[in-house]
Amino acid sequence: MTKSKISTQIPMLLCLILVVAGPFAFDTYMVNTLIKAFFFAVAAITVDLLWGYTGYLTFGQSAFFGAGAYCAGLVFTHLGFSSEYALLAGVLSVVIPGLLALFVGWLSFYHGAAPFFSCVISLVVPIVVYQLVLSGGNFTGSSSGLTGFETFDFEIESWYWIAGAIMLVAAIATDIFVKSDAGKILVAIRDNEQRCEYLGLNTYVIKTLLLGVCGALAGFAGFSYGAFSGVVAPELTGFSFGTEMIIWVALSGRGTLWGPVIGTVLITVISSYLSNSIPFVWQLILGIGFVSVIVFLPKGLLPYVIRPLSRKSSLDAPIKLEEAKIQDSSVSGHAIVMDHVTKSYGSLDVLKNITLTGDPGDLIGIIGPNGAGKTTLMRCMGDGEHRTGGSVEICGRDLGKKHPEEVVRLGLGRKFQNANIFQTLSVSECLRIARTIRERPSLVRTSKVLALPAYVLDVMKVTGIDKKLGTAAKDLSHGEQQALELSMVLALEPKVVLLDEPTAGLTLSERRSIGAIFSALAHKYRFCCLLVEHDLEFVKEIATKIVVLYHGTILMQGDVDEVVNSKLVQDIYTGTKSSARNSEAEK
Amino acid sequence: MGLVLDFATTTAILFIVTSGLMMIFGVMQIVNFAHGAILAIGGYVAFVITRVGIPSLYGCFFAFIAGFLVGALIERFVVRPLYRRPLDAILATWGLGIVIIQVIVMIFGRGVQLVESPLQGTWNILGTEYSSYRIIMIPVALCIGGVIIALLNGTRFGIKTRAVIMNENLAESLGINSGMIRFISFSIGAGLGTMAGFFITPLSSVDPYMGVAWLTNAFMLVMVSGHSFLALAGACLVFGSIQVLVSIYVNPVLGGMAISVLAAATLRIRPKGFSHD
Repeated sequence: MTKSKISTQIPMLLCLILVVAGPFAFDTYMVNTLIKAFFFAVAAITVDLLWGYTGYLTFGQSAFFGAGAYCAGLVFTHLGFSSEYALLAGVLSVVIPGLLALFVGWLSFYHGAAPFFSCVISLVVPIVVYQLVLSGGNFTGSSSGLTGFETFDFEIESWYWIAGAIMLVAAIATDIFVKSDAGKILVAIRDNEQRCEYLGLNTYVIKTLLLGVCGALAGFAGFSYGAFSGVVAPELTGFSFGTEMIIWVALSGRGTLWGPVIGTVLITVISSYLSNSIPFVWQLILGIGFVSVIVFLPKGLLPYVIRPLSRKSSLDAPIKLEEAKIQDSSVSGHAIVMDHVTKSYGSLDVLKNITLTGDPGDLIGIIGPNGAGKTTLMRCMGDGEHRTGGSVEICGRDLGKKHPEEVVRLGLGRKFQNANIFQTLSVSECLRIARTIRERPSLVRTSKVLALPAYVLDVMKVTGIDKKLGTAAKDLSHGEQQALELSMVLALEPKVVLLDEPTAGLTLSERRSIGAIFSALAHKYRFCCLLVEHDLEFVKEIATKIVVLYHGTILMQGDVDEVVNSKLVQDIYTGTKSSARNSEAEK
Repeated sequence: MGLVLDFATTTAILFIVTSGLMMIFGVMQIVNFAHGAILAIGGYVAFVITRVGIPSLYGCFFAFIAGFLVGALIERFVVRPLYRRPLDAILATWGLGIVIIQVIVMIFGRGVQLVESPLQGTWNILGTEYSSYRIIMIPVALCIGGVIIALLNGTRFGIKTRAVIMNENLAESLGINSGMIRFISFSIGAGLGTMAGFFITPLSSVDPYMGVAWLTNAFMLVMVSGHSFLALAGACLVFGSIQVLVSIYVNPVLGGMAISVLAAATLRIRPKGFSHD
């Protein structure tokens, strides 16, 4: 049995036993508390999905939970209770918080939004909802909330099993989702949002949709809570309750689905007993525990509880690699055209009137001293918003103001200077995410087969990462990480590949093999490769064309020999003429 | 005239409350969620001092020192280990806020305490009777702002701090001990927080949760202001005035939300907020 299976199965079994056996084992007070705890646990799952998995710290889930609870309270108080109205309230409790969450998502996530900004917005949401409820007068019951409305007439045992079933269904469904191929995208966003964008994923739409779903789920949990307890108080929508959810998730283990479930249930139960006997001390202990966990055990407690139980063993069934069919869509005409592109920061011109073209099969070396604008040039190709003037066309289509994820869909792949990968995902998971725009990943299954274009398989074989499919990306060597990023970029099946110093920090033999790969990509597979390099020797060997960039202008472009032997290049690139001669003499 | 005084005093009070938060956010890019609890500490310092009978003029120094010490402890033991995990640092300071508030509850109880205002009655300003204590807040805010700006622009510490704000790595490689700068600024920020709590106490009552009400508005104001104290003053003026207007002419509850909502909208439209760099 594998580690990941144990860490799921033991908590799942515990929850199942608790849900089935609860009413037989506990007194009414405990059963009552547990029912509420189950609904809280559903809300905690949504916090975990958003924060633990996707990295979006949110204080706002209480707003959706509370909104759902008020749907129950308002409908039952003002319209009365009947099965039709119950259905209406149930539907509203999903739709209203869901729409609210989508709106919050639109507000929080946009191109270039800082994660901290989204976090602050999530702070404002519960405060606004809370104030709205307070100012609702008799309609919302203001500060005393709504009580005494008629609701479902179930036995407490039935409520218990209903609540337990809701929690288990929510938890198991979420568990299946986060382990699926599509669920891995959430972790990818948490690990490296920029890389996601340059793999063609629209991360802010993904996050907005996720927040919408989580808001709806939290709303439904709130509805159930309100319908069960018969009391809907404004505190349910408030900011303190939202932070309480974070405490549950943080203490038990963010990013482990069953941790927050169990943690929420445990903490709610303990709180309900201790807050009567030693209320302030208990809050104090909780606060100290929370701070210590954040500082010393950022993963929470569950991984430390589970670890001794699990033996080390190999990963789940190994992933099989196979060759993907590539749609043959060879580019007619130029692969990339840059026309009078400029980039300036205020009065500082970093790029001036850059005009160059690249065709399929070209391997263009872009050389120039530090600060010549090489990386800026790459950025202007990869992100439509970056340049300040001129136009860029990729595969005959105008770049306009397109964001990276749209540019990628035009046929561009960008490899960054430092290995830009998903640290905590395995090699095969990284590559599968890179294939998302070609092959829609499943929301429920984990595929055992990974189909990649032939040239990606080549790269992997040459660099040896095909033997390490199950290894976490952060455990690869520097060279292997570079190879992984290159494979990810190529898995997009791009037509134009930007390579920013791909050999930096590699050993000589690694350089040689990677150089051979680049040649093959250009000549055999007809990519248009643009290669930024410092190392003239390296470029000389593989490039078909060289562009010399100096102080933001193209000083020269042409054949390799022509450029390398020109006096001009020797002067600026190697500093002075004489030192260039010396280096010639040394050879 | 009453409206103008409302604008001015609201701005002043907001500035007093946010300056400590700004000090910390500006240097460390961390929003101190314990700020609410730190305001409460200031309130209780005021409470204790009036009980003991120390004139409140000295009280604000006691408040500053208390906050400085608490801030120093927080920085050293909680914030420093989380330097590379800013979102976790936010959470940890929130947790600390809970701890501080619970400690206050255990010492002073949960109830509301009243502190007598050192300055009672009203003053007549150009024909308008206005609460004298609120008016005093204007020079207090000007003093605090002046001292901070003098500290940042006129001292060696200030130059180093600004260097750390602009480019921490470069500052470190030039031999500036950025850890020390962070430590001192966090402590000063916390000290300013307790001092603010001390000053706002006569305006509201003292209870352990008194700071929480100010918290979000203070955050939002700091968020829209970026790094600059002048921008902060501007944000306090603009949003404070809007808050006053909405409270008077529309609805006090909406007035309470005005700052948060407007600041969020401002950031959505113009992510840089009020700062111009």
